[in-house]
Amino acid sequence: MKKNSEVQALRQLGGLTSTRVAELLAQNGPNVLTPPKETPEIIKFLKEMVGGFSSLLWAGAVLCFIAYLIEFSKDKSASMDNVYLGVVLIVVVILTGIFAYYQEAKSTNIIASFTKMIPRKAFVIRDGEKREIPAEQLVVGDIVEIKGGDQIPADIRILASHGCKVDNSSLTGESEPQSRTCHITHENPLETKNISFYSTTCLEGTATGMVINTGDRTIIGRIALLASSVGHEKTPIAIEIEHFVHIVAGVAVSIGIMFFIIAICMKYRVLDAIIFLIGIILANVPEGLVAAVTVSLSLTAKRMAKKNCLVKNLEAVETLGSTSIICSDKTGTLTQNRMTVAHLWFDNQVYQADTSEDQKDQIFDQSSATWASLSKIVTLCNRAEFAPSQESVPIMKKVVMGDASEAALLKFSEVIMGDVIERRKRNRKVAEIPFNSFNKFQLSIHETEDPDDKRFLLVMKGAPERIMEKCSTIMMHGQEQPLDESTAAAFQTAYMELGSLGERVLGFCHLYLPEDEFPDTYSFDVESMNFPTSDLCFVGLISLIDPPRSTVPDAVMKCRSAGIKVIMVTGDHPITAKAIARSVGIISANSETVEEIAKRLKIPVEQVNKREAKAAVVSGMELKEMSPEELDELLTYHTEIVFARTSPQQKLIIVEGCQRQDAVVAVTGDGVNDSPALKKADIGIAMGCVGSDAAKNAADMVLLDDNFSSIVTGIEEGRLIFDNLKKIIAFTLTKNIAELIPFLIFIIAGVPLPIGTMAILFIDLGTDVIPSIALAYEKAESDIMSRKPRHKKKDRLANHQLALYSYLQIGILQSVGGFFAYFTVYAVQGFKPDRLLYLRPLWENDSLNDLEDSYGQEWTKYQRKYLECTGYTAYFVAVMVQQIADVIIRKTRINSIFRQGLFRNKYIWVGIASQIIIAVILSCGFGSIPILNFTTLRVQYWFAAVPYAIVIWLYDELRKLLIRLYPGSWWDKTMYY
Amino acid sequence: MVNEKEKTGGQVLEEWKEFVWNPRTHEFMGRTGTSWAFILLFYLVFYGFLTALFTLTMWVMLQTVSDHIPTYQDQLATPGLMIRPKTENLEVLVNLSDTKSWNQHVQILDKFLEPYNDSVQAQKNDVCRPGHYYEQPDNGVLNYPKRACQFNRTQLGDCSGLSDPTHYGYSTGQPCVFIKMNRVINFYAGANQSMNVTCAGKRNEDAKNLGDFTMFPANGNIDLMYFPYYGKKFHVNYTQPLVAVKFMNVTPNVEVNVECRINAVNIATNDERDKFAGRVAFKLRIIKKT
Repeated sequence: MKKNSEVQALRQLGGLTSTRVAELLAQNGPNVLTPPKETPEIIKFLKEMVGGFSSLLWAGAVLCFIAYLIEFSKDKSASMDNVYLGVVLIVVVILTGIFAYYQEAKSTNIIASFTKMIPRKAFVIRDGEKREIPAEQLVVGDIVEIKGGDQIPADIRILASHGCKVDNSSLTGESEPQSRTCHITHENPLETKNISFYSTTCLEGTATGMVINTGDRTIIGRIALLASSVGHEKTPIAIEIEHFVHIVAGVAVSIGIMFFIIAICMKYRVLDAIIFLIGIILANVPEGLVAAVTVSLSLTAKRMAKKNCLVKNLEAVETLGSTSIICSDKTGTLTQNRMTVAHLWFDNQVYQADTSEDQKDQIFDQSSATWASLSKIVTLCNRAEFAPSQESVPIMKKVVMGDASEAALLKFSEVIMGDVIERRKRNRKVAEIPFNSFNKFQLSIHETEDPDDKRFLLVMKGAPERIMEKCSTIMMHGQEQPLDESTAAAFQTAYMELGSLGERVLGFCHLYLPEDEFPDTYSFDVESMNFPTSDLCFVGLISLIDPPRSTVPDAVMKCRSAGIKVIMVTGDHPITAKAIARSVGIISANSETVEEIAKRLKIPVEQVNKREAKAAVVSGMELKEMSPEELDELLTYHTEIVFARTSPQQKLIIVEGCQRQDAVVAVTGDGVNDSPALKKADIGIAMGCVGSDAAKNAADMVLLDDNFSSIVTGIEEGRLIFDNLKKIIAFTLTKNIAELIPFLIFIIAGVPLPIGTMAILFIDLGTDVIPSIALAYEKAESDIMSRKPRHKKKDRLANHQLALYSYLQIGILQSVGGFFAYFTVYAVQGFKPDRLLYLRPLWENDSLNDLEDSYGQEWTKYQRKYLECTGYTAYFVAVMVQQIADVIIRKTRINSIFRQGLFRNKYIWVGIASQIIIAVILSCGFGSIPILNFTTLRVQYWFAAVPYAIVIWLYDELRKLLIRLYPGSWWDKTMYY
Repeated sequence: MVNEKEKTGGQVLEEWKEFVWNPRTHEFMGRTGTSWAFILLFYLVFYGFLTALFTLTMWVMLQTVSDHIPTYQDQLATPGLMIRPKTENLEVLVNLSDTKSWNQHVQILDKFLEPYNDSVQAQKNDVCRPGHYYEQPDNGVLNYPKRACQFNRTQLGDCSGLSDPTHYGYSTGQPCVFIKMNRVINFYAGANQSMNVTCAGKRNEDAKNLGDFTMFPANGNIDLMYFPYYGKKFHVNYTQPLVAVKFMNVTPNVEVNVECRINAVNIATNDERDKFAGRVAFKLRIIKKT
């Protein structure tokens, strides 16, 4: 009591004034640590320049220059083509580097802003009011209040403490909680017990203190200990992508070298062999992929932020996607974290109240006179109040000062009867006994609002059995009746019934004090209790529950169909836990626990076959006695598990148990002592509203709205990003073959080169870039939440199905289509396919200016070169046309395109338009720039590859159809990527 | 996130071995025999289908292409010029003290001019009316075989190489170079007006070094009767008209750049990019020990 009055006294001091705060803030700056130095931007930039495919492109550029030098040493007038190509390659490397750097910076910024957005709040007393402000705004001299779970917002000197203990381990290494009091115990500030330090955690108790240092001037700031905490680890997605880059680069280099050797063996000049090598490398490197991947990553980061999931790193999103078990808290996550009136019992009848988030319609019968009395008690016997200045806030969202049950009753009566505070004023309170755990009731005495009625009204609420003891009558339809056996029994039944729903039941009674005994001058003394507290009139019961969030049952259903097990872990009573689990579907309607089976079959619990019970409710006590093997068994055989009355330490045991099942476990938590479990979990999820700073620090993800369904959204995003990356990669890889085969045919069959290196670059970095980015916007397929979670090690991003399907099937198909276009433009100009075979030495001979075609016409070198460029253009256009089909088929991996909707992702069409526009510009606009090697193509040859594009589409639809028809078949295993 | 333990080399090798042949599951390269059979069968069918598709589309495409004239000739609007002997880098090198150096040219020319022998021409080709195109319309008979006009070797005068002890002048340092115009189907060269080939040194000093030259037929004329060309399939014995240039006194031991061009109304010779459009540039170099 003394401590409380001290705090009261401190509050009355009023703290700093706003103007003074502003001055100090301007003088000392905000209460934040200067962030540690990061990797210099230039290093990051250079890394983008040499990493991944860039090194291959550099090699290509160097080879170009070497080729030119060889040529130049032989002939001073050698063509500059190779130099141009080398320069273009370097430009490409630099541009993609800049792009990747920019995107990377963007997504880091989003994530960095997440860390900032994880709100650090402090309760401060300013201008005589207690307020919650961001910790950065604290200034020296502020009076702050801290409680268990908070991070200390600045260096503070304790002014009053109530069993306050802090964890100084990060600062001093003491692992024992240190108690804090307001007495100086040592000269050294680090030793004395009346100072607690910025960034340490308050474990329990409460304290009030004055800020003595802020920001960089705090002890921690001075020793800059925090600098080390910013590590940068590679995310699994980065690892997957790197793995994929290595494979592709390996393929590029080995095919390149193989054909280099073949070319040398076929007596090509070294120079030519080098040029082949450049072509093969270029064909194999998906230059635009880096850009597409980075865009899709930062896109996801953005989307997640929009959906109230703050992710500390993108790794978390991806891990979330492969989650197979969620261990969820009950309070606040599954439920609204707000006690709400669920049922009422009066006039011997149970009424149901609306427990939805907004409680718009309370439909129970309010005409009874008993209800009038009950509502009066509910209104008056209540100490909770709305916090000031929130007139415009809807009732359900108003902040209430007072405990949860009282707040629930306050809101309940406010919703039904309007202005409660006004009503209380009209019934002035003359005496009050607050609730305590010894009495288990709360009592107050009021003047009545009726000016003619001079009686005092005594109202009381509390534990129903205690209230019942004090009553001798019961109110039925407004009439007091003596309490007989049958009404007592009815009361018992109702009490048990509500209790079995896991609800907290309160009893209400009242008594009008006789006017003669208690005149209006009577002085009530709560210490001596000079008024009756027995023979009261029982009015009714009200039961309260923290109701489930309305979106949760759907989310749980989604998890179940996605093969994700949802386990509830709560400190609550098993009955309450089970009731909530049932109402949100964690325990489904038709599954039973062992106990329920026993009850149904009327046999002892021991005789029930445990495997028959799908559901299990396990209390902390039972869990304590389980061996790890028993826990494993429990987790394996029961699909619906609720752990009740568990301690945070046991949460860790549960997480470890799940991980033994080879599951990817997501755990939610809010308290300080949840941090070990959050850290241990594959993905720790902290609650943004109620979570302690310690929990937020330990977690990988913070849910801003504390809502379970946000986790499910996160899982969906995680799966989606993985799927979309697959689609992007599959799309990008396909045309690599179409770019590579021409070189192989060129070397082996000696035909004029079907596609030039420039055209390859224009596919990779021109026509294909926007469509591949557009795939990142692709919506989820229908099966995204109905398939099993990804196995982290077995299901790779770029698996062999994807590679084979892209390379050996669609890629080859595209090459064939390209060659068809190529042969067509040669044939219509006079070179039929048979003439082209092994024509290369003559074709490329500069001094041969009368090369005969299939018709006997003779061609100069330039005329041939121009035709060759037309061939490039035709092949390029053919690949472009088939890539349109490719981007369309890549929209889905299993669903029919029509199911997914051709027009749902508008960006795809932007991408397709960009493909066509870029190709048209290149062919028509830049046909006159010789270095680009494009010519204007006759309109009809733009359509040469259309049949092939249609075949690609039909074939892929067939593939998907067979996969859908025969899941698990050989086809499914081989063709589903 | 726990890092996986580094694998030792031996383990990697073991894993590879098991990947190549797994005796437990009877898997070769990660697949069972049946699986491999399925895969091979699938790709057989798939590529079979692709081949069929390709063949079909190519067949359809080739059906649209005529046998006697290509669909488009826009690339050949200006026929190129070319020389014989055709040499590497278009450099006609004559080393008077080294018979071998020019003998190869002579052999090429002998072979090249063989079909021009008067006897062959008389046997196969028609005598046509000079100064007029030798048009042979199909007259309803599709792809009617076409006749060609005679170009007799004797028309090449001193450069005909017939009973010529100087071997087209190569042995004496007065080489003959033959200019020919590229064949283009249905091309009416000269647009009904006479045309001829002229040669000149490329630059002033070249002109000086080039000296005199004689042309056969006179003035480097090319007669209209050799046009139009109807394509190799139906115009079997077509004989390309030639213009021979005999360089009388080229300054020895210097490289002389010669450019010959055709003067015809409908042949542009000033294309910036195509250096052989309506013209041909070559180098002459006579090496003579002083």
